[in-house]
Amino acid sequence: MGYMCWSSEIAYSGGMARFAADVPTRGGFSFDLCQRNEMLLKKGNQLPTFRKTGTTIVGLVFEDGVILGADTRATEGPIVADKNCEKIHYMAPNIYCCGAGTAADTEAVTDMVSSQLQLHRYATGRESRVVTALTLLKSHLFSYQGHVSAALVLGGVDITGPHLHTVYPHGSTDTLPFATMGSGSLAAMAIFESKFREGLTRDEGIKLVSEAICSGIFNDLGSGSNVDVCVITRGQTEYLRNHQLPNPRTYVSSRGYNFLKGHTGKTGEPYIPPNPRR
Amino acid sequence: MGDSQYSFSLTTFSPTGKLVQIEHALTAVGSGQTSLGIKAANGVVIATEKKLPSILVDETSVQKIQLMTTNIGVVYSGMGPDSRVLVRKSRKQAQQYFRLYKEPIPVTQLVRETAAVMQEFTQSGGVRPFGVSLLVAGYDDNGPQLYQVDPSGSYFSWKASAMGKNVSNAKTFLEKRYTDDMELDDAVHTAILTLKEGFQGQISGKNIEIGIVGADRKFRVLTPAEIDDYLAEVE
Repeated sequence: MGYMCWSSEIAYSGGMARFAADVPTRGGFSFDLCQRNEMLLKKGNQLPTFRKTGTTIVGLVFEDGVILGADTRATEGPIVADKNCEKIHYMAPNIYCCGAGTAADTEAVTDMVSSQLQLHRYATGRESRVVTALTLLKSHLFSYQGHVSAALVLGGVDITGPHLHTVYPHGSTDTLPFATMGSGSLAAMAIFESKFREGLTRDEGIKLVSEAICSGIFNDLGSGSNVDVCVITRGQTEYLRNHQLPNPRTYVSSRGYNFLKGHTGKTGEPYIPPNPRR
Repeated sequence: MGDSQYSFSLTTFSPTGKLVQIEHALTAVGSGQTSLGIKAANGVVIATEKKLPSILVDETSVQKIQLMTTNIGVVYSGMGPDSRVLVRKSRKQAQQYFRLYKEPIPVTQLVRETAAVMQEFTQSGGVRPFGVSLLVAGYDDNGPQLYQVDPSGSYFSWKASAMGKNVSNAKTFLEKRYTDDMELDDAVHTAILTLKEGFQGQISGKNIEIGIVGADRKFRVLTPAEIDDYLAEVE
């Protein structure tokens, strides 16, 4: 899957050490530091790990176009940082993109490509095509060798028809009739694999996407809160923000909470105030 | 004239305090095809002659009025290729502004940045000034706006302005006809009449171009069919 793997740097180590003075650089990946990395690891130095956000994002192609879905939980390790974030990003009026991985990376890369697509629209005078967005995304991600941790589900409808693609952080892409990404992708894919068929209607498609996202929300710890859906058809896009709210806040006392003195247990140790003179 | 001795280098002032290359650039603009702009109460219209060098040229492939953003358009008088470079740079700057501030660029800011680019080319080595004056028309939170940017990099806001060949006649005509409470449709009619003044030959939807932006904030270039409708109304 498209997870960040620092060990890929070490996989290329070995071979001759070419000192920079003799040979001019010719572009491409520079293996100069691989020996150093290996030596550091042997000494016990661990590479820093990256913060990952859990997510369930899905997409499917139906009879009139493409439907994208996402959960709305943003996590910082075990903590929920945002209970209702937006994971479906605008790329073009007819193209939207769900993002999993590092939130900053997905935001930045989709904003950047969206901007490039707009300039391209001005230059060509035509509606943007999904494959254009795909190529711009994959070239950018590849050139950063997987360090931009963005796993995307890109979908849209253009003059050549409906398209759905997945983009992995290292820059590889797939073209699929239905796709899931993120930590909840297995739960969502289980739903898709059993219930997807070609030529779904709009309502059937939305229902299936919501079911898949709910599966991710309830079975994956990294996903949660609400379901966002985006329906893209020829000439029209509907962004259904918070299409389902399956996790309402319950048990809120209308009288408020009143904690009386004595309700908190004591350990029995005396309280020693800090010395103000220090 | 003593000035001509200083006309070889862009970055050298003449004794009269002029940069002669910029004067020459303005002459290049003055011999370009007429273009004009009018700011109405609820929108802006810009228009230009589209005289092609030969009847064999496919006029559908030529578009002089271009979009810089969804709500800002531009027309030029002078050298077409120079305007294309400026439009390209301005589009990119508008996108960069949006990426930074998450807000569409205001018309004044875009005009400033475009003017700054034009000024750069009057104070650098090895380059020449742009041989175009631009009329930038846009509608943003501050309402409808019309700006003219010159090769020197100076810019002014106008209620109505003209540039190119027939500039003095056109401006006199506009001064007489302009009213502050004009509607966009009236402005389009006035623009057509102004172009008609100095037009050689039969005016039609195929040899003029008109761009408008209204309160909907969507700049668009009128199709030849729409222009013909307006022409029919004018007659």
